[in-house]
Amino acid sequence: MSPWAEREKAPMIDPIRKTLLAIRSLPFYPAFQTRVKYLTIDAILSFFGPAFEAVSSRVPEIKGELAQWEDGRRFAVGVLPDGPFITLEKRGDMVYYLGKGLHEPEISMLFKNLDAAIPVFVGIHGSFKAFAENRVLVKGNLAHTMEVNRIVNIVNAYLFPALVHHRVLKRPPRFTLAQTFTKARVYGGLIPAVIRHMI
Amino acid sequence: MMPNYYQHYCPVKILSGSHAVSNIPYELETLGCSRAMVVTDKGVAGAGLLTIVREAFSDASCTIGCIFDKTPVDSSNHVVNELAGLFIENGCDCFVAVGGGSVIDTAKGANIVVSEGTDDILKLQGNEVIRKELLPMIAVPTTSGTGSEVTKVAVIYNEDMKVKMSFVSDKLYSKVAVLDPRMTMTVPPRITAATGMDVLTHAIEAYTCLQKNPIDDIFARAAIELVRKYLIRAVEEGRDEEARLAMANASLFAGIAFSNSMVGMVHSLAHACGGVCHIPHGIANAILLPFVLEYNLDSIPQYISEIAPMLGGSAFNGEPKQGALNTIALVRGMLDKLRVISGLPIRLSEAGVPEDKLPDIARAGINDGSLVFNPVEADYDDALGVLKRAF
Repeated sequence: MSPWAEREKAPMIDPIRKTLLAIRSLPFYPAFQTRVKYLTIDAILSFFGPAFEAVSSRVPEIKGELAQWEDGRRFAVGVLPDGPFITLEKRGDMVYYLGKGLHEPEISMLFKNLDAAIPVFVGIHGSFKAFAENRVLVKGNLAHTMEVNRIVNIVNAYLFPALVHHRVLKRPPRFTLAQTFTKARVYGGLIPAVIRHMI
Repeated sequence: MMPNYYQHYCPVKILSGSHAVSNIPYELETLGCSRAMVVTDKGVAGAGLLTIVREAFSDASCTIGCIFDKTPVDSSNHVVNELAGLFIENGCDCFVAVGGGSVIDTAKGANIVVSEGTDDILKLQGNEVIRKELLPMIAVPTTSGTGSEVTKVAVIYNEDMKVKMSFVSDKLYSKVAVLDPRMTMTVPPRITAATGMDVLTHAIEAYTCLQKNPIDDIFARAAIELVRKYLIRAVEEGRDEEARLAMANASLFAGIAFSNSMVGMVHSLAHACGGVCHIPHGIANAILLPFVLEYNLDSIPQYISEIAPMLGGSAFNGEPKQGALNTIALVRGMLDKLRVISGLPIRLSEAGVPEDKLPDIARAGINDGSLVFNPVEADYDDALGVLKRAF
């Protein structure tokens, strides 16, 4: 008996798996799956933009980094080919969320597809791994991109719980008491920031 | 360990060996070209190497449309834009770059400007930004170091911002790389040593950084073993044709490896040393390599340890960290020997870096794109710490 025949004869141990396979073989499933991925990333970016604003207004490390930037520098994060995208801008000593879409950014960090973006946005791994795996396209001045990357890392350190820091950051931060207090303030400011941008 | 995902690409035809340069016109004709822009520098022209190229074109239907020999030590945005203008003015249809990394990168930069129909290279900075197909280019390296003949990277010095900028695209590969031992025979011992250490740095960083993968590990290993066998020979006896060709091949292998696996903190700091203090790239790499390996030691002891046998040491079966320390000692041993036979500096202070410039170098170094691929995170204080140890 061939191995294939043996496999066919084997009882289906997992009916849930069988049902999932059946769903995946439905003709509309790929488009549905893509839409779900898109909406997931869109929702995360809709949170990330205001969250970036909330973190940059409270964290001294970010203000230190931003001091080197020229005013009006815009950067975008998103997914190719059709988004979602968000654009942010440095003004004064903080970063402002300009909303969804590409609003003439100087620097764009664009994931090549939705599958490349999902693990980064849900905290399975960090953007450094996406860069290392050639999953991100960078447009614009690379030195400025490195500066953006540094503040994205700081934002991630303040947004993500310490539990996932080892996955999303090359070097997990060791927060001092003052930084832990700042993190609490950031968490406190997140919901108002998101609501403000939704209205 | 198998990476979760990797990519490898190298579409370059390689001609290696005796009188390889003679095949350039044939290759250009095959590519449909008829009028070549030869890009070089004063050093190459002065060493008589252009004569070898001119002789190759003497009986070919493809002609040399223009020779540009004003490439500076660090290719710059202004020179790139000037070269692109000359290319169009002279009705050329392909590039032949004869020189070191700066020459090849200048030709790549001008090719971007001409092919994209822009007037300024700075408009196309970034990673995978170039959209149009570039014109055919043949690279003839005259130093065995940069590997630029097989890389998808062009490093151009921004004269206005005083930083080195990287242009990265799969379209930046040359069509053909030509390794002819005659072209590297005249390189002085100190430059041979520095460029050879550049090769070693490319290979070691490709083997140890985040984007390492099984295909490029093979190229990196081959490059490290060739460096171990032939670098000292090439430095001691410049006319040793076998050693020269072997080092040219090592440079090419390391170039293939790092073009896909990328490089890390050694390069980010070396680029910054070049940008801030004009330290030659190979010398900066040579100095910084052991110090950055020490910095990365705790994160990737296994990978660093695996390099020891390639450098002629024994395979270490105990703690990977001990094996890694053995690798670093072997690198230092090679540097010490090169210092004695060629005068290669092994400290930043010996290379002419003023101590008060270290903060500027650290600041520029953490903004270099290579740092993303370093296995260990590095901020300003970390970079400054490494630089101080290397001073």
